[in-house]
Amino acid sequence: MSYRKNIQSALLALFFACMAQVASAHHGWSGNTAGEIEITGVVETAVSLSGPHGTMRIRDDEGQLWDITLAPGPRTHRSGLKESTVPLGETVTVQGQRNEDMEMYEAKVRRVIWNGKEFDVYPPK
Amino acid sequence: MYELMAWLEASALAEFLRGLGVWTYGLVNLVHILGIGTLLGSVLLLDLRLLGAWNSIPLPTIARPTVPLAATGFVLAVCSGVAMLSFNTTEYHGNPFLYIKLPMLVVALANVAIIQRLSAWRRGMAGDASQPGDRGVLAVAGAVSLLLWLTVVACGRMIGYW
Repeated sequence: MSYRKNIQSALLALFFACMAQVASAHHGWSGNTAGEIEITGVVETAVSLSGPHGTMRIRDDEGQLWDITLAPGPRTHRSGLKESTVPLGETVTVQGQRNEDMEMYEAKVRRVIWNGKEFDVYPPK
Repeated sequence: MYELMAWLEASALAEFLRGLGVWTYGLVNLVHILGIGTLLGSVLLLDLRLLGAWNSIPLPTIARPTVPLAATGFVLAVCSGVAMLSFNTTEYHGNPFLYIKLPMLVVALANVAIIQRLSAWRRGMAGDASQPGDRGVLAVAGAVSLLLWLTVVACGRMIGYW
């Protein structure tokens, strides 16, 4: 009986250890550690707030297309940056962290600046 | 695989979901968690029973609530999972966790079908006298099941962190 109890306890412990492992992983900024970056470019794909994060695409003045990752939809929306806020073809500046994979032109940004307005999708602490 | 992903991303379902507002993804994600909770909670009870826990509870008694609840949770998780995937499907192209999770899901389902065809399971569910070895067979079945579903859930959770 105690042998069986031990197996049960071991299985439960294993299960909770797995769950703790999962919980300790952090989505946040883990893939975006290549340093602070500021990009100015023309909006080529408008802000989309569907999906796990808001997104947009901008082309910088060297012709490079950047995938911009914003905060999750509701949070980006709350910062005032809505899908219809910035028209296509407008010039915006974004500030954030570049993806650690330098072959990817992707940045997760804290702030989008357009027309003198600052949208802090991740407000400074 | 990429073609299938591109098809899902361009599907009417994906277009519809993307147009539903900024909270849609979060709410679909909530349904996914409710489905997983229901599925894994039920699987955990049944599999631990197969592994030898709570032997005083007859197998049919614990299978009666857990099997249909697991099936319900599975359906909820699959529907919401496909919906979540449809938002940006091609972004998950090459994601190793997704590529482990989906076949494991099929293996876990096959395992369910196998368990239900085991004579040890049938004897247990019918309340017939168990034969030597039944307990071991069911324990192995429970362990395999638990391992498969935990793999599916763990890989699923990790998809977004790749």
